[in-house]
Amino acid sequence: MRTDAVRGHLDGLLLAALEAGPLHGYAIITTVQERSNGALELRKGTIYPALNRLERLGLLRSAWQAEGERRRRCYELTDAGRRTLADERTAWREFTAAIGSVLDPALREAT
Amino acid sequence: MTADPIEARVAELSAVLHGPARLKARMLEELRGGLADAAADLSPGPDPDAARRAVAEFGSVSELAPAFQRELTLAQARRTARTMALLLPLLIAGRYWAGSSGTAPHLLHLAAVNATALAAATALLATVFLALTGAFGRRLPTPGELPLAVAWTGTVAAAAVGVGALTLTAAAVLSANWPLAAATALLALGSHARIASSARACRRCARLPRADAFTM
Repeated sequence: MRTDAVRGHLDGLLLAALEAGPLHGYAIITTVQERSNGALELRKGTIYPALNRLERLGLLRSAWQAEGERRRRCYELTDAGRRTLADERTAWREFTAAIGSVLDPALREAT
Repeated sequence: MTADPIEARVAELSAVLHGPARLKARMLEELRGGLADAAADLSPGPDPDAARRAVAEFGSVSELAPAFQRELTLAQARRTARTMALLLPLLIAGRYWAGSSGTAPHLLHLAAVNATALAAATALLATVFLALTGAFGRRLPTPGELPLAVAWTGTVAAAAVGVGALTLTAAAVLSANWPLAAATALLALGSHARIASSARACRRCARLPRADAFTM
């Protein structure tokens, strides 16, 4: 899937990647890629300002974690982040159901 | 000696970004760490070719800079708005407290009243800016022009505080309670400098090329 198509849904992807627990930036990137089986392409460096933005909006919190000689910034969902993720999932299901029923009428008849 | 591709990319990006130093350093450190992790995934040992591939995967400076700059610009705008929201109410209270005794020429009083009203209005706007770029930003899109609006609001606030400082200094000479008026005048002068400096930094960031097609 093209980068510009992914960009509009980046927030939801990042929030979903953090649902299971705190992760640092590169681990979030690999989680998204693994779950999509490599279908989603995005410029990896763009997730750092996206994570900063989600933290600014109160959906994530972050802290430095020491790992050997280096340190990594780990992010986790806040309560507001979990609620937003649930809203994004609901909105996505409604959106895909609506689009799907138009693009594939057979699907609508089956449901 | 061949330059480290990761350090070179981080340095290139750093050169084009402007904003609060701590946030900029933090975001670049995160990027550097991510690039190192990506290179290590491609090749376990030190490998300049793996580093170059990681740098390519993460995006060019022209692809990364707009989004990074957007966050730095908003951080600077929030810093300016926070400064106004914290200092201006204190100054307004101080102005009324210091100016409540003694008499002042009508023109001086008029200037002080207008400056205080302007400071109050900008303090209120600053609070709105903070809300729009914080929790309220989850529901409402933040206008792209908002950082520039914050910058000019800060400029107006700094001017109002400057006028306030002048009127308080004049009042200190005339007032029976001159120590309090003088102290408030000094506070106003310091706040004028603080707000003006922050607004100037905000104007600089707000005039940089903006990200397009990035959600707010």
